[in-house]
Amino acid sequence: MDSTHLHWMREAMAMAKEALAAGEVPVGCVFVRDEKVIAKARNRTNQLRNATRHAELEAIDEILSDKTLTPQVTKYPLSSTTLYVTVEPCIMCASALRQLGIREVFYGCGNERFGGCGSVLGVNNNLNHPTHPAYKATGGYFREDAIMILRRFYITENTNAPIPKLKANRILKTEIH
Amino acid sequence: MSFTAPEHLNSDCRIRYSEDKGKGVYASQKIQRNTVIEISPVLFVGIPEYEQHGSFDALDHHTYKWKDGRTAVALGLGSLFKHSNTPNVSYTLDPQTDSIRYETARDICPDEELCIFYDHKVWFDPVGEAIPAIDPEPQAGCEGLSTIGNDDIDEEMPLNTDNPDEIVHELYLPFKILKPSPEEEDQNSIRTVLAWVVDVPEPRHLATLLKWLKSYGLDDPNLGHLKRIRKQDDTTTLLLSIGPTPPQLPVELELASPFQIPVPSSPALTLTSLSLKSAFWPTFYAPKRKGEIETWSCGRVAWAREAMEVVITEALRSQSEGELPISAFMPASYGDGDDKKSAVSHDTRTSTSHPLRHAVLNLIRQVANLDLGHPNSSSENGSHYLLTGKTVFLSHEPCVMCSMALLHSRVKQIFYLNPMSRTGGCGGATCLPIVHGVNHRFEIFVWKQTLSKLAINEVLDA
Repeated sequence: MDSTHLHWMREAMAMAKEALAAGEVPVGCVFVRDEKVIAKARNRTNQLRNATRHAELEAIDEILSDKTLTPQVTKYPLSSTTLYVTVEPCIMCASALRQLGIREVFYGCGNERFGGCGSVLGVNNNLNHPTHPAYKATGGYFREDAIMILRRFYITENTNAPIPKLKANRILKTEIH
Repeated sequence: MSFTAPEHLNSDCRIRYSEDKGKGVYASQKIQRNTVIEISPVLFVGIPEYEQHGSFDALDHHTYKWKDGRTAVALGLGSLFKHSNTPNVSYTLDPQTDSIRYETARDICPDEELCIFYDHKVWFDPVGEAIPAIDPEPQAGCEGLSTIGNDDIDEEMPLNTDNPDEIVHELYLPFKILKPSPEEEDQNSIRTVLAWVVDVPEPRHLATLLKWLKSYGLDDPNLGHLKRIRKQDDTTTLLLSIGPTPPQLPVELELASPFQIPVPSSPALTLTSLSLKSAFWPTFYAPKRKGEIETWSCGRVAWAREAMEVVITEALRSQSEGELPISAFMPASYGDGDDKKSAVSHDTRTSTSHPLRHAVLNLIRQVANLDLGHPNSSSENGSHYLLTGKTVFLSHEPCVMCSMALLHSRVKQIFYLNPMSRTGGCGGATCLPIVHGVNHRFEIFVWKQTLSKLAINEVLDA
């Protein structure tokens, strides 16, 4: 596995850890352009009380509102930008990334419930779109770490679950299939 | 083939036949305004008979909805008047004599075709001469009933009802319910969700556990289609809950840890489906389950129409501000005493230079901000599923991103006006609520008429 990709994925993982510390579903991402991180973000769905505030959309807002990063209005502002994200982008984010012309996506683990880069729906390439180019999405970068941090989140008290439940007796599973 | 129209004895009117428009009624001479030109007796068809026969054949285009809800077939010329958005004949239903009186609305020239308006607007707003918000039919004269391109838009007949609870027959609704996915009849199409279950080796613990489930609030209606207990190969397993985390079981029973397995997400509607679903977990059989499609009362339909008017107004406002004419509206829920929350938004991608500032995302953000500003707001207990139980009205079928945002927010149902067949995520390019694997479903209603003044380029994401 290319060490450059692992390097950027480590940065994304640091954002996921920040999310975990803040009581958010631990997903983090970095957007890289010209060998530099231009934006990094993490999930804020609980803080903003908005289930759509995923890490990717947070970072995209940052990029588009920064005049040095997006100096002019172009159709595909992310055409020279690569995304590194700890979990496969969901269907919503996968569509958002395609609408912005993202160059390529690397992710950690797949997302069986909402994955938009193949797990549930291939919004990145399989699903036809009349204008937006398809993009490549590759998983498996620090996959185990991405899964473990999600498990760690679900094993601590999740006060945002519809019915709060005590988890004192829960054991962290460490084997990954 | 040449066709000769029958004679009609009313000296003012002639029935005439034309190749492209079918039969119609024409003035045989000059007729003055406010002249009664026809009194048609009616025959009544009961709803069951109507559903069995009437609604499927040519008769369907010639019926009137009577004041008491019965379906009436007009005899005489009554069934032959065609529809026009600029009708020259008005009519009144007369319950005293069970007939319909047709009267000229203006002076009529000889040979002019006589047309009535099948007024959906009158039906919903019996008072007032509002300009129809929905596109008029192409103005190619008075279209024949059988030649109106879209069979779905010519059903609405006048209905004078003062009872908002009266149920509106599906045919008379201004929208179509997007048919849910066909019943899962093969292994690959079974929709499942992950549920927590636990093995219970001691049968005597089952009663205790069932009682405990109830007291713990885990008798979740979302699991109502599943049996609680599975007995398989001498192992008894109890269904606990869905959700990301398992419930904490009573310690004194010394049970093993709960584990997650996929269980069917809906009851079985057919026997084939039952056996497939029960292989995952014992599932209830509910053939032709009623209540899947809720009934629509006059009041509720009026509520939906008003909401769609708000959407149209907002979309036009958006357009006047230089944005795309795309809007979204979350009204206060119909009939709900408490849930008065509402919000309206439109597309702002142009003014913000942000290609993702779509009406739906703007709406969700707005609703989130409403909540954040609320003094009693709490960030707990799933309250960030902002659209739980809510209906969202849209000018356009939402794009894949927005459709998924609605799904993430747990919207109950959406209505949209203009479909986006190439980019939409609710029936166009894909239909997210029925995609295998997603963990929430919402209902989709499509307005029967599109609004061309809100048309946008078909390759755009709404």
